[in-house]
Amino acid sequence: MKKIVFIVFAVLMAIPTVQAQKNYDQFEVQVDGLGCPFCAYGLEKKFKEFKGIKKVKIDIETGDFSFTYPSEKALTIVAVEEQVKKAGYTPMSGRVIRHDGTIEEMGGVKETIAADAEIVTESAFVAGNCEMCQARIVKASTDVFGVSTAAWNKDTKLLEVSYDKNATTLDAIEKAVAKAGHDTKNHQAKNGTYKSLPGCCAYERVEY
Amino acid sequence: MKYIYSLFTLLIMISCAEKEDIAKNWQLSKTIPITGVNAIGMAVGSEGIWLSDGDHNRLVLINDEGKTVKTIDSLDRPMHIDAAEDILYVPQYGNDEVSVFIKEEKEVFMLSDSLDAPAGVSSYNQEKAIADFYNHRILYSKDGKDFISFGKEGKAHGDFYYPTDVQITENNIWVADAYNNRIQVFDKQGTFLKVIGVDQKMNAATGIFVNPTEVFVADFENDRVLVFNHEGVLQQELTKGVEKPIEVIQHQGQVFVSNYRKSELLVFDWKAIPEGENVGEDTHNHNHNH
Repeated sequence: MKKIVFIVFAVLMAIPTVQAQKNYDQFEVQVDGLGCPFCAYGLEKKFKEFKGIKKVKIDIETGDFSFTYPSEKALTIVAVEEQVKKAGYTPMSGRVIRHDGTIEEMGGVKETIAADAEIVTESAFVAGNCEMCQARIVKASTDVFGVSTAAWNKDTKLLEVSYDKNATTLDAIEKAVAKAGHDTKNHQAKNGTYKSLPGCCAYERVEY
Repeated sequence: MKYIYSLFTLLIMISCAEKEDIAKNWQLSKTIPITGVNAIGMAVGSEGIWLSDGDHNRLVLINDEGKTVKTIDSLDRPMHIDAAEDILYVPQYGNDEVSVFIKEEKEVFMLSDSLDAPAGVSSYNQEKAIADFYNHRILYSKDGKDFISFGKEGKAHGDFYYPTDVQITENNIWVADAYNNRIQVFDKQGTFLKVIGVDQKMNAATGIFVNPTEVFVADFENDRVLVFNHEGVLQQELTKGVEKPIEVIQHQGQVFVSNYRKSELLVFDWKAIPEGENVGEDTHNHNHNH
């Protein structure tokens, strides 16, 4: 009996030691357009549901979103970026600090626009509602190679883009925006993508 | 003596009639800074106005100048709170709990149903209601113990698309159906009665307050508060100073609006419309008693 009590005691004592030895990677992502607290807190809530995730924190004012995840799972920053996007949010930058101190940054180096670029500025209608929509539309536009600047006005619903006309077209930019979940005059977002947007981004769909 | 009474009554009637003739509306009286607090919810308790500071996971009791008097910390995203004397009802969006604080002592509101991001709570005598955000439904209880549930995700009458706030009145349950951009009214069996505000092109109806004659709605993305009568007819549009409004309450005859991102409360008074001011935005002319 004494032996059993000793073994149980030894096992119980060992548990905290094992837990303390578990390594975690620190993920830090900068998310844009967290205007509505209901949706912003939703991101935090969605990530909290992942098994093993710890210290989920989002600062609404700065858009800083961070959490830790067991190192053994080898979660990549690309997977996190995709997950954040899937949840309807717009990651602008991010990094992971591995438990051994190595750092991996989000995203590659964006190709620069050619020196002899012929920049044109055009506008297009893009459906959307709020600051979160704005962040997503602008990011989807500026991610298109050849686009130098993009701005979207939530009142007029107009996207104004400046781009190198030798590198891309307004139609290609509209396509990219639709792929991100926003209907344009010429391209409709897929239903599944639209439905995955946060509640505040549930804009009135464009009829074609 | 009879004549004196009659004369007195006549004088009162004349005075009331004069009062009725003066066009009044809600006008911005002052702005109260609440530095460091991003108020999502407001409720009037026995000690004054409590604010739920969701961004900083706490409740804050403020004085008339907006200074913090006391706090209740370590909450998980408290949202649209309610109060009854010394009792505070706190929906916690982050951990799916509705907590009850009695003189700052915490108890958890027991529910057989599991919530997913409770965004608003209302207490009316023994009756309680909860806006269950991600489940797109309202929970309601006559006795605060046994709850019925109504609503589902959708756009039809009686459906919800992320309800954020709820208020029980004597005969009805009023719901801020946030991303359907409307207010819905139900009886206490959860039967749909009417919809308000669909013609106003709201963009996120995030907060609601109902008094005996009016319905105040925070139209978050449009930077305005809409004032309807109970039939749903627009009475006034408050825009002056309003920026990302998320909550409206009435306290001691004044209307308080929380400008969520600006850390400030706006205070509106029911006053005579200044001469020469246009009837329209902020000055919509109507008469009724407050």
